[in-house]
Amino acid sequence: MELRQIKNRSLVNFRMLVRILGWLLGIEGVFMLFPAATSAFYGESDYLPFLVVACLALFSGAVMARRSKPRFEHLGRRDGYLLTASVWVVFSVFGMLPFIFSSAQASVSDAFFEAMSGFTTTGASVMVGTENLSHGVHLWRAMMQWVGGMGIILFTLAIIPMLNHSGGMQMFNAEVTGITHDKIQPRISQTAKSLWTIYLVLTVVLILLLWAGPMNLFESVCHAFGTISTGGYSTSPDSIHAWDSVYVKIVMIIFMFLGGVNFALIYRFIHGDFRTLRRNDVLRTYLIVIGLTLVMFVISIIYRRQVYDWQSVTVDPLFQIVSTITSTGFTVVNFENWGSFVLAVTFVLMFSGACAGSTSGGAKIDRLLYLFKNAHNEIYRCIHPRAIKSVKVNGKVVNTELVNKVIAFLCIYMLLVVGGGIILASMGVPVVDAFFSAFSCLSNTGLGAGVTGVGSGYEILPDAAKWVLSALMLVGRLEIFTVLVILTPTFWRH
Amino acid sequence: MKIVIAGSGEVGSHLAKLLSAEEQDICLVDEDSRKLAVLDANYNLMTLEANPTSFAGLREAGAGSCDLFIAVTPFESNNIVACSIARNLGARRTVARIDTYDFMDPRNATHVAHMGVDSVIYPEYFAAQEILTSLRRSWARIWFELHDGCIILAGVRLPENSPLAGMQLKDFAFTNRHFHVSAIKRNHETIIPRGGDRMEAGDILYFTTTRDHIADLPELAGKTRHSIRRVLIMGGSKMAIRLVNSDERDEFKFTIIESDPAICARLTHKCPDCEIIQGDARDTDVLVEAGIADADAFVALTPDSETNILTCLTAKEFGVKKTVAEVENIQFIAQAEGLNIGTVINKKLLASSTIFQMLLASDTSTPKCLALADAEVAEIEARAGSRITRTPVKEIALSRDMTLAGLIRDGQGMLITGNTVIEPGDRVLVFCLAGALHKVEKMFI
Repeated sequence: MELRQIKNRSLVNFRMLVRILGWLLGIEGVFMLFPAATSAFYGESDYLPFLVVACLALFSGAVMARRSKPRFEHLGRRDGYLLTASVWVVFSVFGMLPFIFSSAQASVSDAFFEAMSGFTTTGASVMVGTENLSHGVHLWRAMMQWVGGMGIILFTLAIIPMLNHSGGMQMFNAEVTGITHDKIQPRISQTAKSLWTIYLVLTVVLILLLWAGPMNLFESVCHAFGTISTGGYSTSPDSIHAWDSVYVKIVMIIFMFLGGVNFALIYRFIHGDFRTLRRNDVLRTYLIVIGLTLVMFVISIIYRRQVYDWQSVTVDPLFQIVSTITSTGFTVVNFENWGSFVLAVTFVLMFSGACAGSTSGGAKIDRLLYLFKNAHNEIYRCIHPRAIKSVKVNGKVVNTELVNKVIAFLCIYMLLVVGGGIILASMGVPVVDAFFSAFSCLSNTGLGAGVTGVGSGYEILPDAAKWVLSALMLVGRLEIFTVLVILTPTFWRH
Repeated sequence: MKIVIAGSGEVGSHLAKLLSAEEQDICLVDEDSRKLAVLDANYNLMTLEANPTSFAGLREAGAGSCDLFIAVTPFESNNIVACSIARNLGARRTVARIDTYDFMDPRNATHVAHMGVDSVIYPEYFAAQEILTSLRRSWARIWFELHDGCIILAGVRLPENSPLAGMQLKDFAFTNRHFHVSAIKRNHETIIPRGGDRMEAGDILYFTTTRDHIADLPELAGKTRHSIRRVLIMGGSKMAIRLVNSDERDEFKFTIIESDPAICARLTHKCPDCEIIQGDARDTDVLVEAGIADADAFVALTPDSETNILTCLTAKEFGVKKTVAEVENIQFIAQAEGLNIGTVINKKLLASSTIFQMLLASDTSTPKCLALADAEVAEIEARAGSRITRTPVKEIALSRDMTLAGLIRDGQGMLITGNTVIEPGDRVLVFCLAGALHKVEKMFI
């Protein structure tokens, strides 16, 4: 960048931000044409609101992209954070409009909550009577999760060549989950393309597999979108029980699991790099955690005499575990009867989430691994104070700054859960519901407090609480720092 | 183009940033994860923490399928080994940074090629050549010639009393058909000028001209010529040794001032023809003793850029006609130019020149290229059927960050005007701002 520009530039390159936001809105507009077409195909009146909102998004996108004339194109670190956070908000604002004007007839608070929950792949729903929603609305809910799962920015990086520079880098860092960000190709657009290709292929395979089962094509598409993105919206009010099929559950277990694996790792696996896969501590921990919790669940289920058939001790608990750890949030029928021990373990699963670089939520296993290895070292040092120990993950030594960052992350994460819970409680939400909802939304799991057996679903929350939870979802999806840094005074100061 | 760079030192990271801006696919390999982390987070490139002289590391970096492998670790022998490994894995072209003349010697060329090294970057050698050129033509800041001087690009700083100061470019072009003002560097910025722009005193103007008219340039710009004979060098670095041992050394009389007695002792071995003085050149007494009053030129080559710039200023006060400073910090180059330091030498830019040359190299030609602090000058051959050859130059929509200065056709140099039609096979001198070279290149293919 030219020296003169550095001197004259404002803190944030607003005009460039507006222009890029314009491009992105255009993309959202194009996405909305799909539900419009679906509604039209099924002969529903909802095609109109979708079409109108799509045109609105395309129009305002075009105006923003064309009318905003940036003095220079350079995007710095601040721009990256601000852009990424605002993109998610703007997408949700436009994404909620169809809910308000279509047959869903949601209030503004409900619609925004639903949209944010969709894009952040939380999957918490405030819509009652989902069986009455039109096909278009169902598809839109599923598509929001699908786009949000891999990342709005990542999708844009893959298709807009203009972002293929260091500004795109900043946005990539602000959006992709994980502590460090694996690049699998030298240029950011290639990385984005590779990741999206894998995502697309997995989605298509899943659609075909589900279609081969008891679901029809429309249901398969919606559930595939909600599964691979680890979102958790369903087209049926009974969620996946409506099909009561072992086949569907097993297919979904596999793909929820894959949705929780680092996509860079899947890329390497496809390209024949098995060594990285074998050496990957995080993946191993992911598998071990699933295995261990399965044993705990099964013991608890047997102890509570909840065994009705062979599925109750195999597929059902496994489904629940994978659904929770990957932050998808589908539940099996009998879950609330499995006892409080299972519920306690569920908390841990919600907190941990799956691997970084995946579509899952939570704090990510990578971070917990850092934390535990570091804690182990600290305890060892109590006895051998002179010992030099380093945190080693995936065969590589992690430097101390990164460990510190991870610990800070986890502390803030817990503070947000507590803070969110207290705010909700102050709004008159029952304490269990308040803390459970805050936790579930921050970790993007979307399990309702109803599953605890004591609380109830999201629909009973006051409107203000829905906005608080929407904010928590965004903070959780962008992994805290991206959003919080914008709220600090330092961000807006030279 | 896929490029693997081994070594993220100053030269390595500079090249990585530069080539990433030129939209190349860069993978940077180094063992130091801290150095890599900064580049990885802020630039559009991939980094890999691995040993650049190991098969495993280079295989993981994709050296086997890369188009260009650049080894710029601090050690010559590591670079050679890295290139050798990369070549054996299947790299198409390899470049190693060296610091002895041995690997450049034409007698050893076949052996070096046999080791898997296609080209070498030898910044000290290039620097020595550049210093010699600047001493010979002391009025010019930059001197870049094609085809034995058929076309010459010369950078000149306009003095206060220059007849050109304040003149608009269109008026200048009207009266001087043999000179093309390709670019103007004003303060910290290089611009590609248009007819309405004015030349101002203190600007560095990049003139393109042909061999027959270059002799008129100093007078036109209001510069006086000095012949340089006695040269004072500060700092007995590798570059200094290379300079005083160059083939044209008889033309000048060199004196080296070096503060470290141990290095001085070694210099007497290595530089038998020149005078060695032990002392700190920042001390005026030492300078006087070394004969600054009679010296025609002062060349500062210590590792410390600030010392070089400041001592050059002192030398100017003693009436030295030409000063040359090694400035390793790119941001300081503009400052040094502003302080009227005659010529600035920068190893990173010299290395980039070589790499740009490799990027542009087709099978038939070996183009020349010169990297400036925020711009590049390159010789590009127009291919048959390329966009550039289809219409007269004025009808080609050139973006504002490039200009076509001159061309060589059948061994004859000529300037380019709006009506010129570029023919296939013409070698065109292009001046473009940083990051635009790949755009220019596309028009020629």
